[in-house]
Amino acid sequence: MNGKQIHLAVAACTDKGRVRPINEDSYRISVDQNLFVLSDGMGGAAKGEVASAMAVEAVDRSLRENGADGFPKLFTSYAESSNGTDSLVRAIEMANREIHEHGMRDPGCRGMGSTIVAARICGTRLSLAHVGDSRAYLFRADVLQQLTSDHSLVAEQVRHGLMSHQQAAASELQSLLTRALGTEESVSVDADEIELFPGDSLLLCSDGLTRMVPEDEIAAILTQISSVRIAAERLVSRANECGGQDNITVIVVRLNKPRSWFAKFIPWCSSNLV
Amino acid sequence: MPVLIVKFEGSVLKKVATNGGSITIGRGPDNSIAIDNLAVSNRHAEIKSEQGGLVVEDLNSLNGTFVNNQRVKRSALKHGDVVSIGKHSIQVDESAHGESPDIHRPAANTKGTPRVDETLVLDTEKRRKMMQDMAAAGERSQITPSRIRVATLVRVKGQIDQAEYQLTGKLTVIGNSEMATIRLRGWFKPKMAAQINRRDDGYYLGRGDKVPTINGNPIGAPALLSDGDLIVVCGVQLRFAIKE
Repeated sequence: MNGKQIHLAVAACTDKGRVRPINEDSYRISVDQNLFVLSDGMGGAAKGEVASAMAVEAVDRSLRENGADGFPKLFTSYAESSNGTDSLVRAIEMANREIHEHGMRDPGCRGMGSTIVAARICGTRLSLAHVGDSRAYLFRADVLQQLTSDHSLVAEQVRHGLMSHQQAAASELQSLLTRALGTEESVSVDADEIELFPGDSLLLCSDGLTRMVPEDEIAAILTQISSVRIAAERLVSRANECGGQDNITVIVVRLNKPRSWFAKFIPWCSSNLV
Repeated sequence: MPVLIVKFEGSVLKKVATNGGSITIGRGPDNSIAIDNLAVSNRHAEIKSEQGGLVVEDLNSLNGTFVNNQRVKRSALKHGDVVSIGKHSIQVDESAHGESPDIHRPAANTKGTPRVDETLVLDTEKRRKMMQDMAAAGERSQITPSRIRVATLVRVKGQIDQAEYQLTGKLTVIGNSEMATIRLRGWFKPKMAAQINRRDDGYYLGRGDKVPTINGNPIGAPALLSDGDLIVVCGVQLRFAIKE
């Protein structure tokens, strides 16, 4: 659909790491919707893997069912239309209800929950929504920039100027989330929209990556490896080399740079007509 | 040697062996027991061995050191005593003779001790309480507590569409793209000349197709912006302002 004007390369990789008995992370790449979703289940005994699988499935399905309304209409300007982002938020709210209700019905799943980070690319616009501490990063001009703010106690403290990044990274309380999917009846979803440029990469990841591998090392891997598949695998194996304390999942999306100025001209003309 | 068991909300965070030396407790990372809770002072208290026994001494902390719920300046410790510092507690355990875990080793490596590495979500009530405590601690501590501050860019010179911009987004693009927050006028201006990323600890200026300068110095890696900084990119001058 919209993916034709910009050339996306996508790859994902997941691993249970070296400590946890099972992988509670889930992800979904929905090529026809240009949708990328990643979820980190929590509450070992309480079926975190069920929650995360439900989360990615519910978001994908809900956007598919809402179909075309979610996409910006032809010729609407960037400023006027945020439908894509709104529908992403609604889909996550829906997923929250489903997980919460399932947890209430099934005693084995009581209290289960997950994080979620979802990205959808529409033309040159990236819609982003998240809950919890799974992150989205933009890798542009060799610089890695975190696009999401973790919903964790330590991150809140950093935002309030009460703790430094270094202290937060060393904290033993990193696992205390202030928001999650499915643990309460309703959830507040953070959303953002940015414009993408050719050459940009998007990284979605669970905390099993970011707690193990420093950001400059993640940036170095994305700089050095041009294949998204190899980069995704390398990020996961690096997290394992650094300890693999948690499940690790990454999705890498790259907007390929056209080869020449002429090739650049053509896709950019058509992408403006999304 | 007795072992100190550090707990938070009932969960064991770590065990620390007393090796006859001094054990400092505080918020700073250089303490033997670093507790990143806001109710804890940078150098809060010290536990040391004196004449074969342990003694805790409060180092003029803001919120005090408690032994078995009594505020103390200095107190001898015996088996079973609980030292409370903020919401953390440190229990003295003399039963663990012979076992001497590493001071900095997290409890995950010690057999049978649970640890907060399972992800937990704070319920609404608990969260509100913790945020309140956090805000209260912040107001009392030396660190400036800041509400989430929004920065502004003010035009000093150059062809751009507005005189002032609120940097509310996570990412602010300076360029001639239709979707840039700060739109450069002119056909040959780059779509994305530079970008400003709002992170948890402030705003960072990064390059795009051009290398911007801050106060005349070209940036390399993304640079943290301070109030009053002058940004120059593509002939446009912008003043960065961030206020409470």
